[in-house]
Parts: sequence; structure tokens; C-alpha cells
Amino acid sequence: MALAPALSLGLASLVLLLADSIDPDSTNTGLLAGISGIGSLLSFGFAGWFITAGTGIADSTGVALFNNQLVVDQMALFFMAIVGSVTTLVVLASYDYIAGHDYQAEFFSLVLLSATGMSLLSAANSLATAFIALELVSLPSYALVAFLKHNKGSVEAGLKYFLIGAVSSAILAYGISLVYAATGVLRFDGVATAISSGTVQTIVDGSIQAQSGDPAVPMAILGVGILMIIGGVAFKTASVPFHFWAPEAYEGAPAPISAFLSSASKAAGFVLAFRVFAVAFPIGDLLAAGGAINWVMAFQILAIATMFVGNFAAATQETVKRMLAYSSVGHAGYVLIGLAAVSGSGEGLSLSMSAGMSHLLVYGFMNTGAFLFIALAEYWGVGRRFEDYNGLGKEAPVACAAMTVFLFSLAGLPIGGGFFSKFYLFQATLNVSAWSLAAALIINSALSLFYYSRVVKAMWIEEPTGSRTIESYPMGLYTAVVGAAIVTVLLLPGFNRVSEIAFQAAQLL
Amino acid sequence: MAAFTYAPAIVLLPFVSFLVALFAGDRMPKGGALAGITATGGSLLLSIWVALTVAGGDVHNEILYQWTTSVETLQLNFGLLLDPLSALMLLIVCLISFLVHIFSLGYMNDEGETGLPRYYAGLGLFTASMLGFVVANNLLMAFMFFELVGLCSYLLIGFWFRDDGPPSAAKKAFLVTRFGDYFFLIGVVGIFATFGTGLFAPITQGGEVVAESFPMLAEHAIVDGETAGIAMLETVGMGPQQWFTVLGLLVLGGVVGKSAQFPLHTWLPDAMEGPTPVSALIHAATMVAAGVYLVARMYGFYALSPTALAVIALIGGFTALFAATMGLVKQEIKQVLAYSTISQYGYMMLALGSGGYIAAVFHLTTHAVFKALLFLGAGSVIIAMHHNENMWDMGGLKDRMPVTYWTFLAGSLALAGIVPFAGFWSKDEVLYEALIHGFGTEGGLGTAYLIAYAMGLLAVFFTGFYTFRMVYLTFHGDARSDTARDPEPVRWNVKGPLTVLGILATTIGFINMAPVAKLTGAEIDFLHKWLNGPENGGWPAALNTGLHHYEGLLHDVSHVVKGYPLGETPTLLASAGVSLGLALAGVLVARTLYAGADPVEHTDKLGGLKTLLMHNYYQDEYQVWLATGVTYPLARVMNKFDQGVVDGVVNGISSVSLFGGSRIRRIQSGVVSNYATLLTLGLVLLLAAFGIMGGWF
Repeated sequence: MALAPALSLGLASLVLLLADSIDPDSTNTGLLAGISGIGSLLSFGFAGWFITAGTGIADSTGVALFNNQLVVDQMALFFMAIVGSVTTLVVLASYDYIAGHDYQAEFFSLVLLSATGMSLLSAANSLATAFIALELVSLPSYALVAFLKHNKGSVEAGLKYFLIGAVSSAILAYGISLVYAATGVLRFDGVATAISSGTVQTIVDGSIQAQSGDPAVPMAILGVGILMIIGGVAFKTASVPFHFWAPEAYEGAPAPISAFLSSASKAAGFVLAFRVFAVAFPIGDLLAAGGAINWVMAFQILAIATMFVGNFAAATQETVKRMLAYSSVGHAGYVLIGLAAVSGSGEGLSLSMSAGMSHLLVYGFMNTGAFLFIALAEYWGVGRRFEDYNGLGKEAPVACAAMTVFLFSLAGLPIGGGFFSKFYLFQATLNVSAWSLAAALIINSALSLFYYSRVVKAMWIEEPTGSRTIESYPMGLYTAVVGAAIVTVLLLPGFNRVSEIAFQAAQLL
Repeated sequence: MAAFTYAPAIVLLPFVSFLVALFAGDRMPKGGALAGITATGGSLLLSIWVALTVAGGDVHNEILYQWTTSVETLQLNFGLLLDPLSALMLLIVCLISFLVHIFSLGYMNDEGETGLPRYYAGLGLFTASMLGFVVANNLLMAFMFFELVGLCSYLLIGFWFRDDGPPSAAKKAFLVTRFGDYFFLIGVVGIFATFGTGLFAPITQGGEVVAESFPMLAEHAIVDGETAGIAMLETVGMGPQQWFTVLGLLVLGGVVGKSAQFPLHTWLPDAMEGPTPVSALIHAATMVAAGVYLVARMYGFYALSPTALAVIALIGGFTALFAATMGLVKQEIKQVLAYSTISQYGYMMLALGSGGYIAAVFHLTTHAVFKALLFLGAGSVIIAMHHNENMWDMGGLKDRMPVTYWTFLAGSLALAGIVPFAGFWSKDEVLYEALIHGFGTEGGLGTAYLIAYAMGLLAVFFTGFYTFRMVYLTFHGDARSDTARDPEPVRWNVKGPLTVLGILATTIGFINMAPVAKLTGAEIDFLHKWLNGPENGGWPAALNTGLHHYEGLLHDVSHVVKGYPLGETPTLLASAGVSLGLALAGVLVARTLYAGADPVEHTDKLGGLKTLLMHNYYQDEYQVWLATGVTYPLARVMNKFDQGVVDGVVNGISSVSLFGGSRIRRIQSGVVSNYATLLTLGLVLLLAAFGIMGGWF
């Protein structure tokens, strides 16, 4: 029952296939989108209900399932809520976007399957389940990126995404195997016990025991394994240097899928990272054991590099979608602060992680909204470049106003929740005196305002260059965009509640 | 105490008239004048009521509205302080404003001016702001209204904004007074930072002090050594008296600007470009008095600092003489009056600096009446002369406009200080106080008083001279131009205010005939009693704004002592005699030189001095040089720095960013095998780095 958020997504995807097989020759978009929408809304609803009901608070370890392979606690629910909300928005927008395409049932069920994987990933408590869930996330998304079969860009992006994904998955699997070799266990708490005790462990009847003969954990092997797991996580979160797929995939994919990948899929990558590194590799014990990797430093390097690469590349792009793709890379850098703004003894992790989580939640709305606006522009046949957006504000003021909210919130102006979440991250860096991170955050935020405002300027200030007529105002897309904007704005006053939940969730780990 | 309940209406009524004139003035008869007259009339009645209540021994000091509280104890409030001083000032402002509104009917409406709603809106806003300033019970509120009256002054000087002169004069007035106000603002911040309050007088409830005032806190710090609560003293590293002197002098910056004292007096003569009723109301009787009033309002603070007192006295004495000499050679009637205004405010400052609190308030009162009268009289002449202000084109107006002549004469006699007109009594008291305190006080302060006294005394002669030069040139002799032979008649709305003020200018000196009181022992020094209050208890004990308290401070802290070189009564008589004699001498010299049927210019006899005086001692020139020769180059250097260094850094950063961005973009080659290579390389690099660090190999 605790897995209801994930189950409702998975069931909905099966129902979709069932519905399609009843009459494979005709396509009823409304029905398909309706089923998917209900499934994702249910998932979001369950997650929200469980959070407010306090699941996993009382018993502090969360609801353990399947012999501790999955654990549903506040953090898992927090991310399930993010996944559910983003999926709802994406489904809503896809209703208009893929109208007229073939294989709609497959599209929706792939989206839902991938979302199921994300939900499961949030709850994964073992490296094995995490890997499987991650693959469940990835495989449908490769197909989704290449969904526009007759569009060369889409197909090329899908292939590139798949190839890089295969390499990254290989690295991750190798890392997992090394960690297993070093510690003898795959469960996160078991790995932690092995590190803190310094001896290889085994699991007997669900309880963790030292292996006979007390063999010591080879720290060097463990270190290599951890670094490779960082690599796998970095791929999923589109962090440098595993980010190469992101701009191409986001640009080539259908815009709702870009939104899905850049928001929900990224959040799923981060929940894995947060859980693995907070639970399985406690930094204090690792450093005390000596010889192993200081992953905080690794994340600091990654965070700074990601922020700079993402934002600087975004500043010089010519197309809006690609700019957003790079900015999404930059935001991964911001969220990485969640694992980087930690002191040597592991202090400040709760604060920084909750800051990262809060940012992901806000980001789930504002970034999804921004990509859905691109979807709207693609739907209208507006061009891809900044200039093509000139004067759009006159023709579609509501959507452009929503887009303005998204962009300014992404930049960190106090018009949406992005202001507070970025401020919270900034506080986290100051909390542990991580000046380089704080400086990088400030510099990149300032830079990001530059390229975000280019879009705003084009929409509102510039005069349109050519003639363009907007024929229809698609209801689903509009609802999704405006809804996301409203939530983004509401998160400004409501941020306090979000950060409280996130902090509690992070502390429970 | 119902009067105090309605006291806020004194300020609000003119504000309503401002709104009415602004938004509905063009749809009303007389362009909003009637609203202004009604409002100021109402304010006048309420002020009389307040004054009567205050005369009954009640005072009022209360916070009306608190608009900011901080985490510390600092609060920013609007509040009313109604004590004898502010009640008197309310009367003056309301009365003059009322009369000026009526006069404006003749000066503006009858002359067919356009833009009347704007004019009456300005007058209404000014009156409201000035009254707000008068009743303010704390320094910040006073500062805000101080700035508002400055704004109104700017708007009204520039009323005829299509001509060349007025806009420029308005800008000058605004900028010069703003220069002084800048110091005032720092002083306000300093006082708030030092004491945590800007209250002029303590607020009491049921006999208990609930909020202490800053003059009282300063007094406790100096007299009783209670400096523990004042952290600011440690910050600035000064003793209490030195630091309070600094604060007092900073506030004095605003006073010097607003009351047109040297060296910030240069704006006032130019301000005469505004309509003459405006000059009468703002640039003679009320707004210019705001500076002097502010010093009187916080006199308990200045009385603690002998240095500040000496500075005030010297500025006052010097300005009195300096401005009077410039008034000697002016050809335009309003220019003479402008310099005379500067000079008379110098007397008030002299009085305040030399411990003559009563004398200053007395002179403020009489001056408000007779100078408003003189300006309105001049306005009447200007109407008659079809807006030609040059006195050499006038002459002989005495017979053609008798009401104006006789009232103007009363004002001139008061200004010159001829007994028994109002100015005699007040000016005599100013000089007498400076004299006895100069002789009695020891050290530098006493010397400063004597120097200031000497300058003030000399100025009496010049005052008599330029006043009657003006009278003779304007009204006596033969008419020197066609308009002067056939002047335009003026109506009741001009003559009425003139008559009221003429009677007052003759009689208002009787409210404080101190010499007569001393000689005869009759208790007729009403103003003295008014500001002194009961000797024990009553409002002075509650507010600490009574004369008795100030005299105690002057004596105990600043050691200002009275001294009588000839004994008490002879000194009194000698002082009055000397100043009256000098005034009469000035009048007589003017009569000899200009009284004939066809007077000629005598200024050429002054030689080089004439040029100097005509150019106002090159004050404008050196201030312009300061602006263009010093400030402008400095600003240009700053601009260079800003454009070159600051902007350069910013532009540099952005171009580096964009260049870096375009480089980073190139990594994204589009070839998937490159990506895989880079990805693997990155991982290997990380592995190698951490491997070496962790000692894995």
C-alpha cells in the first residue's frame, strides 16, 4: 500500500495498453490522456496524502518493503510527489501536442512506465533495485526522445541519448559491482555498516552481519566504485562531464518529453544520489576510515563545473529550446550543491540536501512550464530562435506572462518560488562556509538573468519581424502552462511549508 | 481640551483646499481661491481656539500615528506638540496665509493670470506643510514638512515657468536650500542614532514620563553625566558636549539654508521672481522663519553648547550687517525687501545665539507682520505700476494710493525700528540681550557676542537708510514715469489685508514692551509671560520648553551670564537710545539724499564699493565658480572612473563570459563518439585525481 504512488502509475500504463488493444485501429486521444492523467494525478495525490499523514515519520526508518529492498519514507514521498506533478503536467500538455500522431497509447504508456521507474527509484534502498529502477526510467525515455520517427533531429537525439546512456549505465553497473565486491552487500544500510565497521558484511535473513573471519573492506576498490556510481548519477542528472546528451536530447525530443526528462528524470537521478550518498556512504565514516574517496569534494568540483558549463553555454545559444536545455544543465549544478555544501565531518548535509530537494520541487514546476511553453510555440509553428519569439506577448499574453514568471523564477527573481529555493541553497553554502560554491551560485545566477531576459525582451519589447498568425489556443497546453505558473507563484508564499517538509525528510535519513 | 482634538484639522484644512484647488479649481469661481480662504480662515479660528486653550495652561504633546517600529526601541511617529511657542507660530502662519489668500484675489485674479488652480493649490499645500512643521513634535516629522515647504517654495517661485527668470530662480532656491538640508538630514539621522528619539519634548502620562525627548537626554548626559545609554558617544569617540555640538551644527545647516543666512542666503533675492503674495507669505513671513523656529523649538539642545551658540550669534550678526549693506544700492523694490528680510532673520539668529530666546520669538512675530505688510504693499505698488518694479520709475505715489502709502509707512517705521512701531521693541530687545550677555559672559563666547552685537548695531543704521530710501523713492517726489502718474487703482481685496497688517505693525510691539515694563514695574511683558509659563509646575515642568528652563541651561551649562556695564536701568536706556538714534540717523540721511522732488542717484559716490555691493559681494559668482570650477571637474573625474573602471570591469566580465560561453559551446560537437570520449576522459581524470589523493595506487 505504501507503494501506491508508484503502483498507480504502473497500473495506468497497463490499462492504457489494454484500452488500446481493445480497438487498435482507432485512437481516442482524450481517453488515453484521461487514463494517464488520472494515473499520474492519483500518484501525486497518494504521495501528498502520505506526506501529510506522516508516513515514515513515526517509525523513523520509513515503511520497509520486500526485505528492505524498497523503503517508503518522507524523502521517497517527496520525490514521488514531484514525479506525479510533473507527469500530470506533461500528460496534460501532450494531449494537444501529439494529437494526430500515431502510437499515442504507446507514447502515454511509455511516459507512465518511465514515471513508474522514477517513483520506484525514489524508494530504492539497495543498489540492485536502484539500478533496475534506473533502467526502467531510461529505456522508455530513449524511445520517447525518438518518438517523432519522421523527424531526423528526434531520431538522432534518441540514438545519441541511448549510446551515451549505455556507456553511463555500464559505468554505473561496474561501480555497483565494485562496491559490492568491497563491502559484500548491496543494501544501503549494509554498505554503511561495512564502511563504519571497516569489515565486509553479509545479510542473513534480512539482518546485517559481519562475514566470518572479519575481512577488511578494501578502501581503494570501494573508492573507485563510489566514483563510478557518481558517474552514473551524473549521467541521469545531466551533470558535467556526463551532460553531453542533454542539450541534444532535449532539443530533439518532443517538447513535453524534454520537460519530462529535464524535470522528473533529473529529480529521479537526484533522489538516487541523495539516498545513496547520505545513507550508504556516510561521509564522516568514509573519511574516518581513511584512504577512501572524499565524495563531497567530488561533488563540489562537479557542482561548480556544471554551473559554469551550463550557464555559460546557455548564454551564447541562438535557439530558445537549446538555451533552456543548457540552463537545465546549470540547474543540475545548483542542485548538486545539496551534496557539496557539507562540512568535512558531514555536518550541514540535512540543510543542503533539503535545499536541493526544495529547489527540485520548485524547478519541477517552473522548468516544466518553460518547456511546455516551448511545446506551445512548436505547436503554433513559431520558429526556434530568440528572434522568432519577437512580439509574441501581444498575441498570446497569458502564455507569455506565464513564461515570464517561469524565466524570472528560474533566474531567481522573487516572482516565483525559485527565489527562495535559490536563496535556501545560498544559505546552505554559507552554513558550511563553502565560499567557492556561494560565489559560483551568485555569478551564475547573475549570468542566467541575462539569457533568460533575452526571451522576455523578445516576447514583450521587440516588434515581430515577420507576419505570423496564431490560429488556435490549445486547451490542454494552456492549462498545463498556466497551472504551472500559478503553482510557481504560489510557491513563493508556500515555500516555507515545502522547505519544512524537505528538511524533515532529509533529517530522517 | 476639545481644542486639541480638533488641532489636526488646522493642518488638514489647507491640505483639503490644496486638493480642491488642484482637482476642481478650474471648475470653481476664482480658481480655487475661495476654498483656500475658507480653509485658512478655518485654520485661523482653530488656532485662536488652541491659543486660548494654551493660555489657560493646557499643553498637548501626543503621538498621532506611528508609521514605523524597528526591532530596537526606535520608533518613527507623527505627533502634535502644542505649547505656547507652537500656538503663537500657528497664529502667525494662519493669519498671514489668510491675508495673503485674500490679497491674491487682487494680485492674481484681478490681473487675469492663468493657471490659478495651480497657484492656489501651491498656496494650500504650502500652508498645510508649514502648519505641519509648526506642530511637529519630533525632528523627523519636522524635517519632512521642512522639505515639503521647500518643494512648495520651488513650485511657487517657478509659477511663471514660461519666462526665463522664474524657473532658474526656482531651481536655485531648491538647490541652495537642499545643500543646507543635506546637513540637516545627517543631523536628523545622527540625533536618532544617538538618542533613539527625535521628540522635542517629553511625553507624559499621569505625571510619568513615558517617552523622553532628545534635548532632555542630552541635558542629562551633560549635566548629570548619564552617558551610559548613549552608545554613539563611544562610536565617535567624543565627549557628550562636543558631539552634541556637532549634531547641533549639522541641523544648523538646514536652518542656515532655509532662513537664508550667510553663506546660503543667495537664493532669497532670486526667489523674488515668484508672485509677490508668495514672496510675502513664503519668503518673508513664514517659510524663511522655519529655520529660526526650528532653533527655538529645540533650544534646550542648543543651550547646552556654547560653541553652537557662538556660531549662531556670529552668523546672525554678520548676516544682519552684510545683507543690510547690499540692500543699500538696489533699484527694485522687492530686492530691497529681500535683502532686508535676510538681514532681519540675521537679527533673530543673533538673538537666539546670544541667549535672547524671547527676543528672537518676539522679533519673529513682529517681523512676520511688518514684512508681510511691506511685501503686500510692494505688491500693491507693483499692481499700480503694471509690474514695473524699478523704484526709479516710481515717485509720487503717496497721493494717488493713500491706503498703500500709510500702511507701507507704518511697516517701514517698524522695519527701521522707530519707536513706538513694532520693530523698535523687538529689535531693541535683540540688541539689548546680545549686549548684556556679551558683557556678562566670560571668555570667547562673550567676545563673540560683543562682535555680533556691534555688527547688529551697525546694521540698524543701514536698515533705517535703505528703508526710507525705498519709501522716498517710491512714494515721494514727482512721478518719474507715465504709469506712476496714472497708476492702476487697487481694490478692497488689496487694501483690506494692508489695513489689518498696518494696524498690527503699529501695535504688535506692545505685547512685550520690556523696557517700559522694567522702568515702570508694570506687568506688561505679555510675551515673556506667555513663553515663561508659571514659575513652578504647569506646562514648563511637563515639557521643559519654558523660558525658565532655557535660562537655567544657558546659565549653568553654557555660562551665559548677564552683565550691566552702566548698571541695569542706564544700560537699558542707553541700549534703546543708541539703536533708536542710529535708526533715526539712517532715516535722516535717506531723507537728505532722496527726499527732494526729483531725487538723483548717489550710488556713484561709493566708487568701487558700489560695484561690489551691486554684485552682492560676488557671492553668486563664487558659488557658481564652486559649482563649475570645483564640483563639475570632480564630477567629471568620477564619471570617468565610473565609465572607465566600473563599467569597464562590468563590460569586461560580460565579454569574457560570452567568449567563454562560445568556447564551451564548441565542446558540443554533435559527434556522439566525441561525447563518449570526453565522458570517459572526464571520469578517468577524476579517478586519477582522487586515486592519487586517496593513495589507491
